[in-house]
Order: sequence, then structure tokens, then C-alpha cells
Amino acid sequence: MPEPGGALAGVRVLDLADAYGAYASRLLGDLGAEVVRIDGLAGPDPIWPAPTREGTDLDALFVNAGKAILHADSVPEADLEALVRASDVVIEAAGGLDGIGFDRDRVAALNPDLVRVTISPFGGSEPEDGPVDDLLVLAAGGLMHLGGYRDLGPIGAWGGQSAMAASIFGAVAALVGLISGRSAFDVSAQESVAQALEDSVAEFALVGTVRDRQGESPREAGTGTFRCADGYVSMVAGRLGTARAWSALVAWLTEADAPGAEVLGDEQWSDFHHRKTPAAIDTFTRVFESFAANRSKESMYRDAQARGIALSPVNDVAAILADRQLAERRFFVEVADENLGRVVFPGPPYSLSASPLRPPAPAQPAGGATVAAFIRSGGGDG
Amino acid sequence: MGDNGPLGGIRVLDFCWIGAGALVTKALAELGADVIRVESRTRPDNLRVTPPFRPGTEGGLEASGYFASRNPGKRSFALNMRHPDARAIALGLATRCDIVTSNFRPGVMERWGMSYEEVQAVNKAIIYLVMPMQGSDGPHAGFIGFGSTIAALSGIVHLSGLPGRVPVGTGTHYPDHVPNPGHALVALLAAIFHRSRTGEGQVVELSQLESTVNVIGSAVIAESAGVPVERDGDRMASVFPRRAFATADGAWLVIVCRSDEQRKALASALEIDTLADGDEAADVAGAVARLGAEDLLRTLRAAGVPAERVNSSGDILTDPRLVERGFWYDIDHPVIGTMPMFRIPFRWDGSRASSPGRPPLLGEHTWEVASSLLDMDRAEFDRLTGEGVLG
Repeated sequence: MPEPGGALAGVRVLDLADAYGAYASRLLGDLGAEVVRIDGLAGPDPIWPAPTREGTDLDALFVNAGKAILHADSVPEADLEALVRASDVVIEAAGGLDGIGFDRDRVAALNPDLVRVTISPFGGSEPEDGPVDDLLVLAAGGLMHLGGYRDLGPIGAWGGQSAMAASIFGAVAALVGLISGRSAFDVSAQESVAQALEDSVAEFALVGTVRDRQGESPREAGTGTFRCADGYVSMVAGRLGTARAWSALVAWLTEADAPGAEVLGDEQWSDFHHRKTPAAIDTFTRVFESFAANRSKESMYRDAQARGIALSPVNDVAAILADRQLAERRFFVEVADENLGRVVFPGPPYSLSASPLRPPAPAQPAGGATVAAFIRSGGGDG
Repeated sequence: MGDNGPLGGIRVLDFCWIGAGALVTKALAELGADVIRVESRTRPDNLRVTPPFRPGTEGGLEASGYFASRNPGKRSFALNMRHPDARAIALGLATRCDIVTSNFRPGVMERWGMSYEEVQAVNKAIIYLVMPMQGSDGPHAGFIGFGSTIAALSGIVHLSGLPGRVPVGTGTHYPDHVPNPGHALVALLAAIFHRSRTGEGQVVELSQLESTVNVIGSAVIAESAGVPVERDGDRMASVFPRRAFATADGAWLVIVCRSDEQRKALASALEIDTLADGDEAADVAGAVARLGAEDLLRTLRAAGVPAERVNSSGDILTDPRLVERGFWYDIDHPVIGTMPMFRIPFRWDGSRASSPGRPPLLGEHTWEVASSLLDMDRAEFDRLTGEGVLG
């Protein structure tokens, strides 16, 4: 029987991942699994410009939260073998287990039921020659083609998203393995990024149009990013925002006597085909941004939502930390870090009513005692 | 659907529509679960009337490539939840399912009499997924949003782009496609695993905002540690160049050099002077602009310079790695015709699952599901259809 304390209580995860897979085992750990990570297998090279403070890589701090960390140089061979034998799941970079001396046959002999999840930039089990930069994978996965500015060219999403995407699906794969008994999963970060292409591939296939980056210009009158007094707001009051949202938006502008708003009440504006024309987008943007010029993000957020209009501030990170909804829900978690003092982590991305999640905690350096505890923790069948 | 995949035998009653939710159940169907999508003609999924459409097929509820792209392999059960007799049918289906999914604003499932408590009363071990924008409680629980507005709220839009320019974001509504359906799948599968060990069901809640904030987790830590992050294009200390360059034939290549050795190789391949930090862009851009993408990519790779084509929505269908790994497969649809579909981003035991069936026509499986799972006879089915309950 599982122990109390999470959906994955008693599940043992050995983490041999590089940056592409480290968040996968973090997710499994939050769900109650025991995670031992062996650091120092891949080079220390970051694959994207991760924030640091005083030499601490804050991305590593985030993705390794809650793990027991061993260093590759200091793990005795017998401990490695015991870890591989005791694990229910291995999350590895391509060549992870092989790299520490465990080829496929040896793993099969030691632990035939092991769920093995290999997470790599382009899939497969062969390691790449060197670290693969996140930007290369965002490009190969197609998302970058749609990002950036029309005049300057494609720009990538912030935050190592090819690795976050691959890790999330790596955790999905590990759970599918635990549920189904399937044993060898191979996750591609490129394919993980290619989940995010919206309808652009369908558009190419059905209409023949290659979608270009949208840049900063709104997609449609009522839908896009607009300047206001203290920054930007994002709004969807177009086709997917339902006809009612468009009427509510026009009513808001009209009641506020926004200069030029009267034109938006004309019959043609209720048709989204008209609202998608460049001239309509220009007219709307002029009217809306002059209305917004002396309004703050927060006041527009409140007023628009009260009228049923899907508008949000374009928050910077400080604004997220101050967000009232997140505060009410006690989303953020203070963590005492040995080097940095008190820092704030996001809470878990979800809740499970019958399976409590482990709140984020600093990673802990580990030794032989950790290995022994890990082997014992699986309920005695390891 | 069927018993072929790793989730064979799991049945899902799916109220998800539009974006992130539909991608959760797309993955479940691909993994072998039987996904029964509840939809209605009275208020169809907006995506069913959203472009792209193959020219000549527009109009009606079956032509949308957008809808198709996230609904392969599901069955469609047409049920008008606003009809007072619909609830009994939905609850009847829920007794035969393992999971109920929805992504409405808080209150909609409750209004239909399909709250967790009401479903649990007929199926004790049900797993009940909700995906509200900002969570089911708190002062903004009722706020409305879409992928793009939640992305803006979460901070990822602010961080993506160039300083001094409008924050341009991630290109598509990335949180709708990866972090939110992906995290929801993690939680849902954990709940399935928990149930397999304990017999216990539960509510799985994914706040789309909270899920998205997690993929910029290190920026949150940085802010709290007094080292705020701001958008800075794709710049990275000591890695240069690290950006996209336009080629002579209208494509873009990303080139990333992490060492002087790579920079020397790049300079030599482009026949320009050795690169120094800061002034590399003009030289490289000028040289790349005179060359074709395919040849240059081959040259750079041979020289050991990391480079990738910035794949467009057309290029990506022929990317050799994706093709070789079977990422794409074609469906054949009676209205849309042949159309490529994407798979979840992993293989297992060296292969993919068998291809999921094509996306369903609205109500295509109503009779099939009603007769097999609800033991409904034809007369009853016709009566309920005539009264506008089914359909």
C-alpha cells in the first residue's frame, strides 16, 4: 500500500537528466516521489540565459527543489548499482545510464521493470556532441518562427521553454509508464515545442499560407497588446471573445466618451471580417490607446473584467508577486535557501484534493545515508 | 480510442472545449483512452467555426482545421446541457467513465448539476479535472481570459522580446498549448496512478495562471532575491552570436557560438574576419544574407557550428527528424480531406501508438455511445433527439 503524503508516495526516481529533463523529476517529487539526482554528468553549460545571484543558477535552484543531490564523482559504484536496482523511474539525458556504466543489458538484468524516460533536444538515445542551446530547439520546433518583431526577425520565448516543455512531457511519460508498465520512453524537446504551433500547420496544410510572426501589431480590432498609462494590457474581444465581448468593449469606450469611439458603433464593426482589416485595426488601436493613455493596467483590468471583457495587465514579475488573486490563494511559497536567504518560489501548478503536494524546498546534498534511505523507501520490494 | 495504447481501458467524459482542455483529452485519446466529447449544436465549440478552412469547405460545423487539430481520436456525443433532461444522461455516462474533464469558468458545471459532489454521488471513484483560468476560488476566480491574456498576466509575455519595445510574447498562446495541458496531464495521470493503488478518486484543479507562472519559476525566485529579470531579446553573456539571421532565400537560421573555436569556424565558413563580442552581428548578418539557407546550414554543421533553420509552419512538416520519428500523421476527413496531425512528443518502446482516428463530426457517436453505454433503445433515442436533448 502507498504511504500517505502524495500520489507518488513510495515511488523512487533516479534523476540523471541535463537541463532538458531536470524539471520532470521535480514534478514527480512534488507529487510525493523520492528523487535522487546525480549532478555533474553533463557539462555545467547553461542552455539559455538563466538568472543567477552570486553564482547560484536560479533555474537549477527551481528545477532541483526538493531533490537529494549526489555528485557523480563521489558516488561509489556499489551505490550506483543499488540506486539503479531500487529505482522505479529513471529520468535521463540521452546516454545518461550508459554514461555511468549501465548499458541496456545491465539495466535489464538489474531492474527489468524500470520506467526509463530519456529526454533530449531532438529525441533518441544518442547524446549530442555538446550542449544544445534552447534557442536552437525553439527554432527547430517552429515556435520561434512565430515570435519576435516584424521588422527585426524571430525572437525566442524567455526562460528555456524548450526544456520546460520537454520536462513537462517527460513527467507525463514517466506517469504513463508507471500506470501502464511500458518501460522505455523517449521525449523530444523539439516535438514538445512543436505542440505550441496553434493552428499554423493546419493553415499551411489547408490554405497554403505560411504564417509569419504577428509582432506587436494587434491580430484584430479588440484583440492584441495595447499601451496604457503605466505599461501594456492584453485583450481578447474579437472572434473567440464572443460577440458580446465586442459590444461590451464598445459600450465601455462610448460611456467613457473616448474620443473617436462613436465610429466603433457602426454596423460594419460587428463583423469580425471588418475588424481584421488593417484599417480597422489601426482605427481601433488609435481610439483604444488614447482612451488607455491615462488609465493604469490595474484599473483597466478591474473595469474590463467587471464588464465581462477578457483583458489582463501585461505583468512584470514584481506585479505577479503582488497579484491579489495569487496572494489570496497563498500560491507563493517562501523557501529558506542556504546561500540566498529567504526567496520566493511559485507554488505547484495544480492541486489534487486527495493527494497533497509537497511544497517546494531547497535541494539537499546527499550521501550514502540518502542512498540507503532511498532503497528502503519503496515499501520493501526494491 | 480502443484498448491499444497504454491508457487503454480508461474512459473520459470530456466537457473541454476551445484550447488547453481539448489538448489534454487529445493526448489521452492518443494514449489509448476512450474520450467521449460532450458537445451541442445549440452552443457548439467556437473552434468548430474558426479558420483555417480548406477553400470551398467553409460553412457548417465540420470544416475547421483548428478544431480538427486538437480533437483526433475522440468520440462526439451531442447533448444539449441546457435542456433539463440532459443531466440524467450526462450522469449516466459519468457512471461508466473514469474521468470527467472540463475547462469552463467556475460555476458552469455546477449550473448543469454536474459538480464534483453530484458526479461523485453516482461514481465514487471519479477523477474530476477542472482548469479554471485563475483557480476555483479567490477574488479573481470569475475573471475571464484566453491563452493570450493569461500569458500576459503570468509574466512570460513581459519577459519575451526586446528592451524598449512592446513585449512581444512567445509567438502563439504557448501556455494554452504546452504548460497548461501538459501540467494538467501530469496531475491527471498522477490521480489515475493514485486511484490504481487506492481506489480513491479526487478533484484535480489546474489554475491556468498558476501553471504558467511555474514555467518562469526562476524569474520569480530572481525577483524575490533582488535580481529582477527583464526582457533582453536572446542575448546571453559570452555566447555570441546567439540569434536568428535572414538568408538570401527568405529563411532564417539561428546560429549559436559558445566558444572561440566555434566562432573561428563560423568566420571561416562565412569568409569574414574573426568575430569579437558586440560587433559580430553586422558581419555575420551581411554574410548570411548572401547565402541560401540549405547550403549554409550544411556548411555550418560540417564546420561544427551549431545552427538550425527557424522552421516555419510549412518547413516543419518536412523536418527530417520529425518525419523520421513519425511525429506527423495524416487523417482523412469527410469534409476537410487529408490533413496532417501532430502527436504527443514522445515515443515508447521504440515506436508510436497506432494513429488515433480522425476528429469526430458533431454527434457522430451519439447513437453508438447511447446504445452501448446507456443501453438506450432506438425509440428512446429518437424521442430524446426529437425533444432536442440529444443533438
